[in-house]
Amino acid sequence: MVKNNFWSPYIAGTGLGLTLLATFYIAGWGLGASSTFSLLTSVGMNQVLPDFTRGLAYFSQNLNTEAPLKNWMLFEVVGVFIGALSGALLGRNFKFRFDRGSATGVGMRLFTAVTGGIMIGFAGRLARGCTSGVGLSGGAQLAIAGWIFVIAMFVFGFIAAAFLKRLWS
Amino acid sequence: MTGPLDVSQDMSLFLAVILGFFFGLFLERGGLGNPRKLTGVFYLTDFAVPKVMFTAILVAATGLYLLSDLKLMDLGKVWIVPTFFWPQLVGGALFGIGYVVSGYCPGTAVAGLASGRLDALVAMIGIGIGSLIFAVFYPVIEGFYQSSAMGEATIPGVLGVSHWVVLTALFIAAGLMFYFMERYEKKTRQDHS
Repeated sequence: MVKNNFWSPYIAGTGLGLTLLATFYIAGWGLGASSTFSLLTSVGMNQVLPDFTRGLAYFSQNLNTEAPLKNWMLFEVVGVFIGALSGALLGRNFKFRFDRGSATGVGMRLFTAVTGGIMIGFAGRLARGCTSGVGLSGGAQLAIAGWIFVIAMFVFGFIAAAFLKRLWS
Repeated sequence: MTGPLDVSQDMSLFLAVILGFFFGLFLERGGLGNPRKLTGVFYLTDFAVPKVMFTAILVAATGLYLLSDLKLMDLGKVWIVPTFFWPQLVGGALFGIGYVVSGYCPGTAVAGLASGRLDALVAMIGIGIGSLIFAVFYPVIEGFYQSSAMGEATIPGVLGVSHWVVLTALFIAAGLMFYFMERYEKKTRQDHS
């Protein structure tokens, strides 16, 4: 057990739940994250390879607005960064590091971070959102979408962990 | 005032930053910027993720349906996450594997980077690449992606019961789950001492 000064998960969860409720009340939709990565990738790709990017039907829908970066979810994610940075500084938990399991080397960690990232990036698009947008927000709306996503995620997370026993030990 | 609120675009973007601020603060302070805590549930060593997540779902769900019953919130104007059964089942499954492998999900990767974790930045680049792969293969995937559409389906709607029946069942299930997690953590902590 690592000693830390994190808040009780029930306190943090209550705060997160009230934030989500306030988001429903103010904006009329829930919290999210993964669509921002899709948006930033399409905007970035459009700078480098405009013809190729605009030819991708899925990405061009992000670009066919007057100001693609005036996006609610992007601004929310900027807020997430500032809020988490404030939390880390407040708890004296900010430290530059390359976090990994004790049996995992740096090269291996680079590989797992990028391949795992690719999987969640792809899966988040397929499911129309991630843990926040579909799992948390959909779950709180009692939407079928949220609960099938959460159940599938936990079941396959346990299966993956059984095969990758030493990854995070 | 009945929600959702009607505000200007600039005001809406400003409020997005404020709401995101609290989202990030509670994620980080709940320990969910730390990939070892984030993956702990899958190794039965740390249950922070389900504790934070299901507490948040219960609080927000109770509040949402209470405000709706009190006519303080117009649920008809709330964007309900649409259900596409098979894509979300397969997406959730692949997401679970990627979550264990990378140690993060998109929101918690942002919290991880904000606490100085450079591996989270690498995972974020991966998420961008994964989105690009999806966009490139979209013409092939589109049929599956649009399949099994159920619209704004909810559990109480499909079961034909009151949302309070579903919420009561969720409270009981989550309460039992929290009880067994606490008991298990106490037991394993004693074993190690």
